[in-house]
Order: sequence, then C-alpha cells, then structure tokens
Amino acid sequence: MHYESPVRNPLILGDKSYSDITNDIAKPVESKAPRSWWIAFSIAFVMFLWGVGCILYTIGTGIGVWGLNKTIDWAWDITNFVWWVGIGHAGTLISAVLLLFRQKWRMAINRSAEAMTIFSVIQAGLFPLIHMGRIWMAYWVMPIPNQYGTLWVNFNSPLLWDVFAISTYLTVSTVFWYVGLIPDFAMIRDRAINPIQKHIYKLLSFGWGGKAKHWQRFEEVSLVLAGLATPLVLSVHTIVSMDFATSVIPGWHTTIFPPYFVAGAIFSGFAMVQTLLLIVRKIFKMEDYINIEHIEMMNIVIMVTGSIVGVAYITELFIAWYSGVEYEQYAFLNRATGPYWWAYWAMMSCNVFSPQFMWSKKLRTNLVFTFIISIVVNIGMWFERFVIIVTSLHRDYLPSSWSMFSPTFVDIGIFVGTIGFFFVLFLLYARTFPVIAQAELKTILKSSGENFKKHHDEHGAH
Amino acid sequence: MTENNKYWRGIEDQSNPELSEKLAQNEFSNEISQADFLGNDELAESSTSRRDFLKFMGFSTAAATLAACEAPIVESIPYVVKPDSLTPGIANYYASSLYDGYDFASVLVKTREGRPIKIEPNNDAIFNGATNARVQASVLSLYDGARMHSPMMDGAATSWKEAITKAQSLLTENSVLLTRTVISPALKSAIAKLGLRHVSVDAVSQSNRADVYEALTGVRGLPTVELAKARLVFAVGADFLGDWGGENLNSAYAAARKPGSDMLRHIQAESGLSLSGANADVRIKAKVSEYESVLAHVYNKVANAVGVATVSAPALREDIKLSVEGVANELIAAGSGSLVLNGLNSATAEKLAAKTNELLASEAFNTSRLDFTASGSDTDFAALLEDIKSGDVTSVVTLDTNVLHFSSAMASLAEKVSLVSIADRLDETASKAAVALPMSHYLEAWTDAAPASGVYAVGQPTISPLFDSKSAVEIVNTLAGGSESAVELIKASATSENASKAWNALLHDGFADVAIEEVATGTLDMSDVAVSAPLKGLEFYTYTKAGMGAGSNANNPWTYELPDPVTRLSWDNYVVMSAADAVAYGVEVKAQSNGSMNGNTINITVDGTTLENVPVWIQPGQTQGSIGLAVGFGRTEAGKVGNNVGVNANSLLAPAVSYAEATVVATEVEHGFASVQLAHTMMGRKIVNEINLPTFLSGNAKEWNEKPTFESYKGPLTSFEANLWDDQDHETSHMWNMSIDLNSCTGCGACVVACSLENNVPVVGKDEVRRHRDMHWLRIDRYYSSDMTKEVAEEEGVGAIEKYAKMEVPSESPSVVFQPVMCQHCNHAPCETVCPVGATVHSREGLNHMAYNRCIGTRYCANNCPYKVRRFNWFNYQVNDKFTDVNPSQDDYGRMVLNPDVTVRARGVIEKCSLCIQRIQLGKLEAKKDGRQLTDGEFTTACAQACGSGAIVFGDVNNPKSEVSHLKQEERAYHLLEEVGTQPSIFYQTKVRNRA
Repeated sequence: MHYESPVRNPLILGDKSYSDITNDIAKPVESKAPRSWWIAFSIAFVMFLWGVGCILYTIGTGIGVWGLNKTIDWAWDITNFVWWVGIGHAGTLISAVLLLFRQKWRMAINRSAEAMTIFSVIQAGLFPLIHMGRIWMAYWVMPIPNQYGTLWVNFNSPLLWDVFAISTYLTVSTVFWYVGLIPDFAMIRDRAINPIQKHIYKLLSFGWGGKAKHWQRFEEVSLVLAGLATPLVLSVHTIVSMDFATSVIPGWHTTIFPPYFVAGAIFSGFAMVQTLLLIVRKIFKMEDYINIEHIEMMNIVIMVTGSIVGVAYITELFIAWYSGVEYEQYAFLNRATGPYWWAYWAMMSCNVFSPQFMWSKKLRTNLVFTFIISIVVNIGMWFERFVIIVTSLHRDYLPSSWSMFSPTFVDIGIFVGTIGFFFVLFLLYARTFPVIAQAELKTILKSSGENFKKHHDEHGAH
Repeated sequence: MTENNKYWRGIEDQSNPELSEKLAQNEFSNEISQADFLGNDELAESSTSRRDFLKFMGFSTAAATLAACEAPIVESIPYVVKPDSLTPGIANYYASSLYDGYDFASVLVKTREGRPIKIEPNNDAIFNGATNARVQASVLSLYDGARMHSPMMDGAATSWKEAITKAQSLLTENSVLLTRTVISPALKSAIAKLGLRHVSVDAVSQSNRADVYEALTGVRGLPTVELAKARLVFAVGADFLGDWGGENLNSAYAAARKPGSDMLRHIQAESGLSLSGANADVRIKAKVSEYESVLAHVYNKVANAVGVATVSAPALREDIKLSVEGVANELIAAGSGSLVLNGLNSATAEKLAAKTNELLASEAFNTSRLDFTASGSDTDFAALLEDIKSGDVTSVVTLDTNVLHFSSAMASLAEKVSLVSIADRLDETASKAAVALPMSHYLEAWTDAAPASGVYAVGQPTISPLFDSKSAVEIVNTLAGGSESAVELIKASATSENASKAWNALLHDGFADVAIEEVATGTLDMSDVAVSAPLKGLEFYTYTKAGMGAGSNANNPWTYELPDPVTRLSWDNYVVMSAADAVAYGVEVKAQSNGSMNGNTINITVDGTTLENVPVWIQPGQTQGSIGLAVGFGRTEAGKVGNNVGVNANSLLAPAVSYAEATVVATEVEHGFASVQLAHTMMGRKIVNEINLPTFLSGNAKEWNEKPTFESYKGPLTSFEANLWDDQDHETSHMWNMSIDLNSCTGCGACVVACSLENNVPVVGKDEVRRHRDMHWLRIDRYYSSDMTKEVAEEEGVGAIEKYAKMEVPSESPSVVFQPVMCQHCNHAPCETVCPVGATVHSREGLNHMAYNRCIGTRYCANNCPYKVRRFNWFNYQVNDKFTDVNPSQDDYGRMVLNPDVTVRARGVIEKCSLCIQRIQLGKLEAKKDGRQLTDGEFTTACAQACGSGAIVFGDVNNPKSEVSHLKQEERAYHLLEEVGTQPSIFYQTKVRNRA
C-alpha cells in the first residue's frame, strides 16, 4: 500500500470501511429520490422545455427572432457556445491531467466533473447548430463526399476546425467517462434487487467481473485515454479561440487568445464543478468524500487560473496600446469606457478581482464563500465571452456601421433552456450513476483515509 | 384470312413472300437455347452476379417509381405566335419620359418578357437624362395594387362609359380643372378643348419665383443654369442638387467640381442641412426668414460695387454678417463666373438673386432658356379657393393632383364642390370625388412633354394597362367629347410641336430638339422689392426629402426604405431641430440598448393649427430657431405601404407659404426612429480622405494621400506588397474594378434604389430597419465632422478617453461627406477564409462570389467583414407576415418587378453586392457570341449607371484603355481600410473641398 505523509490531510473523512464507501455511494441510486430532487428536476425540466420552444421558434421563423443585426452577427449564441465549452474543460482536466500527475484528490470529484463536461459540451454543441441560418443544411460542414463534384468544406475556416475539435472532444470524454464507470456500474448491478434495474446495470457494466485481468485492462485503458484526452484539454479551447484570433476584427485578432482561452476555460470549469459538488455533497451527504480538502484544492486552481486570465486581460490592453494600431487601441478603450463598460467591469471584477480572495485560507475553506465565488466566476466568464464578441463587433472599423445589441426573449429563452437541459441531464445522472468513482476511491482508503492515517500515526509503520 | 383477297403489309411482303413469312414466324431472331446459355462456361466469369441483377432491378424499380412522382406543374401560357421583338430572357429597352408634377426625366425602360422591370437613364437625352432615386423607384409604382382598378362612381366600380357620362354631367360653366403643372403639349390642347377654367398648383411650389420670370419674359417658367460656366455658386436656400427646380444639376455640378485650379466653389446659406448644403465648401446657417435679407445684403454690396441703387434691408445677425459680406466680395471678384441661386418661394428673394446675377453679368444664369416643370400658380389657386368659398365654382375636376392632401384650405372646402378626380388611386382627393377616373402609370401611358425651352419629349407605354385605366390625355380628351386614342393625340401633338425627328425616331430616342421659343428680355424692376424682416421667434418651414420628393411615390416601399441621405433615417418624417433648440424645448434623441434611436415628440402650432406628436430629430447643421418638416408624408389613402407613415407637414403650412412662426411644446409621447446609422463621425480615421483644394494643387499626393506601409526586412512595404498568400492570376483575364469619386458623389441615393431593384434587394420595413437590419447591398455612409480632432486633442492635451468621447459628437456646423460603400470585392477577402462550407469564393476576375445555395448561414463572414457590407436574410421576407405590407415580393403585382436574372434569396443565407455579375456575364456572352473583345463601357453596374454625377466608374483594369484603369492611377485614388490588407477591387477618389 502506498504510504502518504502524515503532513497531507486525509481525503476520506470518518471511520470508513470499504463497505461504508459502497453503501454511501450506492445510496442515491438505490433509495427513492428526495423531494428536493423532484423540485430541482421540475424546475430544470420547465426551463428545458422553454428552451426547446424557443429553439423551435427560431428554426421555424428565422434567426431574426434573436437580437442580432447587420453589424453584430453573433452575440448570445456564440457567447453561450464558448461559455459552455469552457465549463466542459474542468472535467477532462481533472480526470486526465490530474490522473497523469497522480493527484489522488481528483478521485472524489472526477466522475461528476466528467459528467459535467459531457453535459456542457452537449449544450455547447447546440449553439453552432442553431445559430445557422439553414440548420437543415448543417451536415454540409462535414466533409461528406457528395454529388456536387468538387464541392468540399473549407479547411481554412476555424468554424470547421471547431466541428472536428468539439466532436472529437465529446467522443473522447464520453468514452473516458464510460470506461471509468464500468466497475461502479458492476457494483450497483451486484447490489440491485429490482430485476429490471439489475438487467440494465448488467448491460451497462459490460460483464465486469472484477478479475485481476479486468483491473489491469481498466488501468491501462484509463491511462491511454488520459493520454489522449490531455492534448484535447488544450486543443479544444485553442481552436475555439481561433474563431476569433484568426479574424481581422480589432479585439478578436489577438495572438494571446489560445492560452488565455484555455486558462479561462479551466477557471470557469472548476468554478462550475465547485458549484455542482457543493450541492451534491450536501444533498447526498457525501461530505466525507468531498471534503474541505478537495474544495480548497479547487479554490487554489481557481485562484491561479483567474490570475492567469487577469494577466491576459492586462496583456491585451498593453499590446493594444503598444501596437500603435488605431483600431485596436480604440477597441480596448471602448471595451472599458464605451457603452458596454458595465460588461467589461463585470468581467474584470468577477474574473480578476474576486478570485484574489482565495489567497486567504480562511476564505478558501469557507463553503458559503466558495459557493458564492464559484457562481460569480461563471457569471464573469460569461461576460468575458460577451465582451469579446459583442463589444468587439459593435464598434469595428467603419463608424457608419456601429451598432448595439440587446437580447430578445428568444435569446434569453435559449440560454435558460440550455441551463435547464444541463441540469436535467445532471440530475438524472445523479440519481442513476454513482456520483463518485468508488472503485478508485477505495484504492486510497488505506493511504488517505482519516482513520487509517490516524491509525498509522498512532502505531507507526509496520 | 381470306385466300382471295391478299393484302400486303409492305412491298417486301409482295416481292419476297417466303422471307416475310419466315421473319414473321421468327420474331425473336438468334434465339439461344436454354441449354446453350446455361452451358456457356464464360457465364460463370461474367461480372454480372445475382446480386448485381437484384441491384439493377431495385434501381429500375426505384427509378420507375421516382419518375412516376410528378413535380408540381405550374401552368403558363406560351405564345402562339411569338412577337418578333421579344425573346424570352432578352431584355428590350424603350425610351420614355416621366413627369409627375415634380420630376421630369428622359429614361430608358428595361422590359423583360413584356414587363418593365427597371428604369435606366437616357444618356443621350438633352434634358434630364439622369435618373434620381425617385425616378429609379417609379417602376414599382406601376405594380402597385392600390391603384384604381376601374373607374369609380360613388365608391363603386363602374364602366368608363358611365363614369364619363356622369363626369360630363357634373361639368358646367362654373367648373374648374385643377392640375399640377402641365408640361404636356398634348394635354394642354386637350385641356383647351375641354374649355374649363384651368388652374395649376404644385405640391412643392415655386410659384412666386415663376411670377418674376413671367413678368420679365412673358413666359411662365424658371431660369436654367449652366454650372459649367460658373466659378462660384452662392445658393441661398436653393437645394439645387435636390428640389430647387426641374433641372437635374448633379452631373453638371460634379463636372464643374472636378478638382483643379478651375474648380467650382460652392457656398450655401440655408436653414436645414440639405444635400446641396452637405456638398458645399462653405455653409452659412441662416434661417429661412433670413434668406431675403441675406440676398439683399449680397445684392446691396454688389449694387454698390456696380453703382446702382441698393434696397433697404434689415440688419443681419452678427454671427453671419461677416460671412455674408465675405461671400459678396467673393462674388464681385468672380464677376461673370459667379452665380447666385435663390430657393425661397418669394418674388423678392428671386428678384434679388436674379438681379445680382444680372449685375454680375453671370454667364451661368439663363433666363432666356426656361424650365417649365414647376410653373403652377399659387395666385390662381388662391383665387379658386375664394371662388369656391363664394359658391362661384360648383365642381372641380382634379387631374393628377392630390390637392386635398397638400392643401388643408381646399380640404375644408371640398364639401362645397362636386369633385371629379383623374388620379392613379383613390387617394385623399379621389376618394372624395363623385367620379374617379383611373389614370395610367407613365409606363402604360402615352405622354409628351415640353419640360424646358427647346426640348420635346414623348413617353410611350411599355406594357398594356394592368388595370382598366387610360392615359391622362385621353381621359381629358374624352371628357371634352373627343374620341381620339392617346397615341393619336400624342402623334398630333408631336407634329404640331415641330419636333426635329420623325415619329419613329422620336419614339426611339424619346426626345427631340424643338426651336427655342424667343422670350422677351427686360430688366427686373427692383422698385417694388420689400425685404421682409426675419422672424424673431421660432420659425417652421417645410422641405422635401430625396426619397419622397413631392410625394407621388407615396405607396412605394423603396421610397421609404431609402434612408434620407443626410439624417440617415428611413420610413419617417420628423422635425429637424438644432441641438440648442432641443435643449431649450426639452427634447432628446437617445440610442436604445439595441442600437435603435428613440426621440421625443412635440406639438407644433402654426397659425392656430396644431400638429400633434411630431417626432424631433436633432440635426447637426440646423440653424437655431428654425425647424423643418418634410412634405409628402402623413398619407391616409395612399395604400398599405404609405398610409400613416409620418405626418402631413402641409396641414400646418400650405405649399405657397415658405415659413411661419410656430410654437412648440414637448409631449410625453416617445417616437421610435428607423436610423441606419448610429455613429455619425469618422472618429479621426481615414475613411473618407478629404483635403482642401490648395493641398491638392500642391501636388504632394504622398502626403495627402499617404498609403499605409508595413515595416519588413525588405524595407517598408504597402499592403499590396506585404503578402503571405498565393494570389490568383489576376493578369490574364478581366479584372473588374470600380472607382468611386467621393468628390463627385452628392449622396443623392439614386444608386441605392437602382441597386435594390436590379438585385431584388428585399424591403424590410421600419421595425427591421430600426433594428439595423436593412438589406441594402449598397449604402451611402454619411459622416459629420467633429469639433474634436486628434490635432485639437494633442494641442489641448486631452486624454484618450475624453478625446474619443468628444469625437463621437458631431460639430454644430459640420462638414459633411458621403461615401457609397458596397462589397469591396477584396482580393484577400476576410470573409472567404472563414466560411466553413466555402460558400463565398474568389474569382480570377477580382470578384468575391456568393453562392446562396451553398450558404448555411453561420454569418461568420459578415462578422469578419471590415466594411460590414454583408447582409443576412433574417426572415423569409417573401412569406413572413411581418413583411406583407412592405415587401413587393409578397404581392402578386409587386412580384412582377423582380429581376428574373437575379435569384430571390431564401431565409438564412447571406447576400451582398455581386458587382452586378448578371450584367458582367451578359456582356461577356454577347461579346463571345460576336467573337470580339469586350469594349470599355459596354455594360456597367446598376449603381454606376444610375449615378448621374458619374462618381461611380466600373470596368476592367486589365484593359489599359478603360476609364477605370486610368482612374486607378489617379493620385487621388485610395483603398478603404487599405491597412487591413484586404486588397479591395473597389477604390475611392479623395474628396477635395474648394476652401483654404
């Protein structure tokens, strides 16, 4: 068994045995849904339905039902797209990168983080589809051999790169997530009493038998997929940022975008994980597994990435001034002082200033404060995309074409709808999937479990 | 078969019966026995397997099934005998003339399959061959379903016979024929034949000015001007690029203002910012009520110099006194090269202007060649009103004049007379008439015109009347008891006018010279000149807009959709007010969160009459203490497009009155404007490159037309040299380029309308324009100068934030520039790289193509366009209910105006200027058929063609003889946003102002 220094805080609190872990984690799946779940699910489902209605209205009538105009041809649609993609980043980072770095604390949170990734990438993927004027021609973005002769996709277009990046990311994340789920599904299967439930989990667990060979393959596949997923963490948001960086619009045409977007994505992703897990641990009474140690770790990541993002913002401003390019200078001056100054300062205060509180140990271990900051950060990151997209477009080269943007109820409805859709998926997940990777968690019980650590301290190494 | 009667089935049957018999028996020759077939070893090697057989069978079944599904059949009726002159797909052109009481133009009508679809200028014409925005738009009025479909009697449809009988029964000795200005000799003879008292009155009156020349020359008309002979023009309230007279002066103006040492200098004194004022080198802000005193002061100064008697004039405002005196000195210095124009409908003002010209011996001012297009008489009309009031007139026949709309005095008397209306629709006047007789649109009618001395023009029908209507001349002639058809009347008129051309040649050309009628020459009597004192309080005046004019196209969506060149507002009329007055009256115009503009409204009271809730637009350059409102709006019986758009300015001020004192009160009601432009200044950027004449003459183009360069290891490179791309071969074939001369462009908007109709650009209506979703492929940006510039900021040490904030605010007395912007056809196009499906691609001929069929509507291209010229189809404009009232393509008649050569775009795709690729292709094909090279100027784009001032030149720069290739070498030439590296195919020519 791996030995862990007593300096490190335990990752599993309380006097837990293997069976305790199994019971605790299988409980939400096996017990009846609490009332609070039903309330949350109903709200999310209504939001989802409203979003569906708004999407159908858009498809039926035209993009004109949104608030866009001849100058601002993207606004909430692509803002939401980038925001959701960004949120999705934390899952892969936690499960893949932290796996490679052997960060054990990820084990309590990786399952939910990955679920969040997949669900948010689904939301993200919606927007490039529905923002098309002719969604029924959407398949034209795929390089499908066709009867039109030489007609082919345009490989110069960052939007096409997006198509590949997002679809690859979604596929790899889903596979990775699923592989991790197999032993846990098997655990539920073995405990299930209801024959239908048993049968379903039997199918889902792919005949897992817990043999040494199974475990060996499991570990290998996890490692390989982690290796595959790691570059994706960087590539997806890099490519998304290129939608803007390769353009000629002042405020978009910025080489700093790829690293800045990746940092921002991790930042917002961790904030979202934080939001979700703070709720999950409370409702499903998993405080022992997702404890203050985990929360503090994530807060540190938020603080670091928030600061990186802050540096990026300031670098942009500096480069705009230093470049001497008139349009660039105006674009950034206009961001901070123009008609959308409030969006810029909302972004600045949420993303750059608020994470700085996490320097204080007292604050970063305070659950309520953490929860508030996690929400604030996600609001800030939404504004970051809004600022980049709308304030760059609304005043570009020719003042004659300057304009403003205001969302319609449809813009708002679709955004709210995706939030609803996300929570519908997440709540269904929380009731049917083991929300913590218990099989993995059990591997650290004897090194990082509180009572084992205590026992170790008391009796020394044997 | 009977043995006896042998019938042969063919000659072979008879000559060789055995063989025939054998063949008949053996119908399937070369029969292969089954055993042979199956025994064939090669069969196994055959590539056709059982699976293939099933595949083929499946395919055949599917194909047969599919073939059985019929596509919906749209029935059309082909010609039984095709007219010789008509080939489907080939356009025919007819020369014609338009006169609607306001505009006169000699035009070419393009027809396709018998439908007029486009109005084009008649470049050979001797008078007004150019087309303005209203003339361009007029073709759509033909397809207006709101026109009268048949004669109407007491609100019900009736036959011509009954209507004429009824109308004749209403005519007595006390009847009056009330018309707009009549310039048609044929119509004049018919009117003479009718024998009624004839009064003509214009909706935009020049009556008092015409009185001066009637007294002077004996002929009622307005002077013509030859700008080519002028060095300095001083216009007082005369919007001579807009509504000053019937003469279209745009091309002469542009020609006279070609930069050089002999460039025409233009000084404008006016109240509201007009097109002419916007183009002027110097603009003096004078109230309308000050025009007379301005002219008087100039006159006095000139009179003193020449040594004739002066007139007494009230003192000028201190802040304009010096400038007016300066102008007078300049005029004296320019001598016979000077020209003073008056735009005020006042005999005093006109006399002062004309006399000043006379004293200066102005060569450009011509009172012996007159323009007759606005010669209605307000005096006659006033007399008529008196007679109606007193009961001396019992019935009135109106001819093509909506008098009840523009004259509230007449409207209040309408009950006292029985009305017979000859009109195109049941407008405000015809709807009140006992009998309404439908008059044909000019494209379905025979007309003639004598618009100016020495000019005779005819108009011919290009389509059978869509409704049961007749030419105006025929209706009047029938009322007079005649039975001649319209064509006979026009033919007779052409003969009696002694047109210099035979009938067929006349029809072919559309116009002819006639002998210029000698007019009396006298001198103006200045003894009765009494200059009125300027109003102390707030003055109210009316003016015309470029799109609406006098209002004859009031149900034409293009009229409304065209943004006003100066305010950039569409679908509205509104009070224009100076910022200082706005503060005083507590009104504001504010941008909304979606970029649209909202403003306050006011109640205006003039002479006891109040017009309520009139929106106010705060207009830079507007003279303080003076508010203006455009005429032609506020219609209630125009049709679904024009009804209830704006307010009727004439309800406050009759056309005969130029201005009046007004009181205004701000109201609580808010008004939404449809403004296509939100920012009005160039923010210190080099967008319109503008210099003053001395700078231009200094010849140092490197300085005043500096090309952006990029530092590189090879030294500084221009954006055309600093290149990372594999360029297309732009040398071998054609390379289409376009030059836009910002010095010639007057901003009139003709190109915008021409582009819309050539390219089936959808009309989207007020609400969508308000949301900045206008679909114009070509727009004319208008920028005001600002008091804050980079230089001022540097001098005064103003910080960047404050500098840019102040730069957004237009100057109170701005310089104005216009810049037509369409797709720049970048050879390194930012839009092309970002389209995921390659729907927008580049051609070797320098064009940026847009494949609508391939577009999936991501709008990435529109975002990445630095010029913001790409337009997205937000809705299905051809079907969506929101556009039923405004979009012609939703109307069975309106649809007929669509250009069959250009696709009507579906919802969800991007569209933009194609440089009229349909015209390029047609030109190339014609040349190919003839086996020859294309010649320069053989065809051009719709905008270039419509541009009366010749500001837009299109052509092949690979042809060294082409005009555009010479223009590209001009030292004034520059590319818009050249530093972005887009390498556009469109280039601009620097604007030069004739001032120090």
